[in-house]
Amino acid sequence: MSYGYTGKILHVNLSKGELEIEEPDEQFYRTYMGGSAMGMHYVLKETPVGVDPFSPDNVLALCTGILTGTPISGQSRLTSVAKSPLTGCIGDAQGGGYFPAEMKFSGFDAVIIKGRSPKPVYLWLHHGEAELRDASHLWGLTTGDAEDKLKEELDDKRIEVLQIGPAGENLVRFSALISMSNRANGRTGMGAVMGSKNLKAVVVRGKMKPAIANPEKFKEIQKLARVNLEPTGMDGFGKYGTPGVTTPQHRAGGLPTYNFNSGNFDKHEEIDGHKLYNEHLRGHEKDDQNRFGRDTCFSCSIKCKRVAQIDEGPFKTEAKYGGPEYETLATFGSYCGISDMDAIIHANALCNMYGMDTISCGATIAWAMECWEEGKLTMEDTGGIELKYGNAEAMVKITEMIAKREGFGEILAEGSKKAAEIIGRGTEEYLITSKGQEAPAHMPQVKRSLSVIYAANPFGADHESSEHDPGYKAYPERMKEIGLTNPQEKLALNKEMMRFAMITQHLSSAVDSISVCAFIFGASFQLYTPEQLVQTINAVMGWNVDMKEILEVGERRLNMLRAFNSREGVGRESDTLPKKMFKRPLKGGRSDGYVLNEEEWEAALEDYYRLCDWDVETGHPSLKKMESLGIGWVVAENNVLSEVIN
Amino acid sequence: MGPLVDFLPDSDKGKATMTLNNDSTIADMLDKLQIKRKVVVAVNGDEEKGLDHVLSDGDEVLVFTVISGG
Repeated sequence: MSYGYTGKILHVNLSKGELEIEEPDEQFYRTYMGGSAMGMHYVLKETPVGVDPFSPDNVLALCTGILTGTPISGQSRLTSVAKSPLTGCIGDAQGGGYFPAEMKFSGFDAVIIKGRSPKPVYLWLHHGEAELRDASHLWGLTTGDAEDKLKEELDDKRIEVLQIGPAGENLVRFSALISMSNRANGRTGMGAVMGSKNLKAVVVRGKMKPAIANPEKFKEIQKLARVNLEPTGMDGFGKYGTPGVTTPQHRAGGLPTYNFNSGNFDKHEEIDGHKLYNEHLRGHEKDDQNRFGRDTCFSCSIKCKRVAQIDEGPFKTEAKYGGPEYETLATFGSYCGISDMDAIIHANALCNMYGMDTISCGATIAWAMECWEEGKLTMEDTGGIELKYGNAEAMVKITEMIAKREGFGEILAEGSKKAAEIIGRGTEEYLITSKGQEAPAHMPQVKRSLSVIYAANPFGADHESSEHDPGYKAYPERMKEIGLTNPQEKLALNKEMMRFAMITQHLSSAVDSISVCAFIFGASFQLYTPEQLVQTINAVMGWNVDMKEILEVGERRLNMLRAFNSREGVGRESDTLPKKMFKRPLKGGRSDGYVLNEEEWEAALEDYYRLCDWDVETGHPSLKKMESLGIGWVVAENNVLSEVIN
Repeated sequence: MGPLVDFLPDSDKGKATMTLNNDSTIADMLDKLQIKRKVVVAVNGDEEKGLDHVLSDGDEVLVFTVISGG
């Protein structure tokens, strides 16, 4: 008997309308564990080299992990991987909610999708059965409306739906997969890939609960959640959610403001977690936000999700579209010089309704605003919209135009990097992208090890792919568990900080493969320690994995992502940061004058490559490393990679 | 800052002036606020001070949790 996983992976060929179930052996699950690594196994095997991201041949993998659906905080996560239409590199996005657990209960660990359906369809997984159904009547609907219709026609309010909105149908390059109408697999345009396949949604329902090998040990770990809650500060994190970090980020000089030209936003209190909690969450009038204004994921005790509602006015917003995270408050707020909380809540809801990544959407608008301020864009370009910093009405309007690809929104729907190529006029000087993906709301000038991860991460700038610099010094006991015992001074960019970046990247990479929440399991502030992640896996699976094996899973996945880019002709030349981070010192606040030194930074990147055992000249992984991780087949089975990697 | 403002009196959301005994340390201040969790403290903008650092009259002390992501 197997524990944790269902043992079933569904292969869907949308062109032929064929469904096939694969039942891999236990060694497969132990090697990849799920999530991103499991998805990459199929993407690397089945996607042709040089594929157009919108081609039927681009394989899209949706994968849960070995712990998904077990009753413990942080396990209900699903990872999507495919070639990204935003970056042209590998794409990768995680999301939570109730969908991942329910997908496991429906009888499937993962769905591997290729082809393109001749007409819109949805995939219905229920009680071990799978079928494709017509979705013509759902095409064009917002996420909330489509979910309501599906519940009605399947006559079951407890189904869970992972879907694209109109933005995914319109192939907006940063469109997302949305579940519950408010949770997103947001980054790298996975929604557009699903849209290109004419697949509107995956709908799941089931009762097949995963078995647990050692229930008593599992219960002990469950109970630790209560013990760990206060000392980790996760109680406060649950109350204020990620928006609680807005003011601390500002004080540290790390709240990206005016398109990353400053880390200091004077109006930070207008967009922070307290303002959101006290004045905007549903139930705040009766001081009952904990009941009505917070939400959670399957079996998670933290309840960090926000539920905001605006009853009247131009930014009227329904509660079912959730509330903004810190990232969203920053990208639509401080990035754009906007402090109107209602406008940000509404822009967040539009992204969830239409299915777009709030980070790339807000950051693309912020880039356009800087171009406007610098005289590179005019009313003629924008169709009469004054895109200056602080214009909340314009920001909301443009968000909707992007989703619908209307007017100037048609250009911005390509993402800021491609938009700069279309517009020209030197607008690329204002980009804040790495590999074409807009930077999230943590500043490389302030968190220096993160600068290298932003550049070298295979799917573009990402803030959840490693621990951030202050964590090294602040959490010595946890860092010791993963072999990090030598914290460095603030702003250091030396070999030890590259070790910190790489090892915590391996742990984050494992977290995205086991497919658990980065706020619950990790090496710094999280509810559970790295060692407790190991214990949880062993309790559920009956295995005897140790920390080394877990870190290897992360390293394996990272090298698989990297190898995908290598076969697409992407190497060191793409491991770059936005030019402005080297050229333009930040203005104001704690980080006034901060700028990265190019020579020091390139040396750090090379230190990182050497630690990873990647070629310093090309940035490609080495065959020796791939073989040592048991993924030599990735190179051996691919003619292009066999020439590139040796 | 952040979620820690709940440890201050309601009227002082986010900011408070405290009176401590002479030679009080950062640890004494956190005890008085009943903050038992893992925090980072910056004294007058300097994050390098340990919990046993003795505070002086007029010091500005920032207390925050290190939570990344979002």
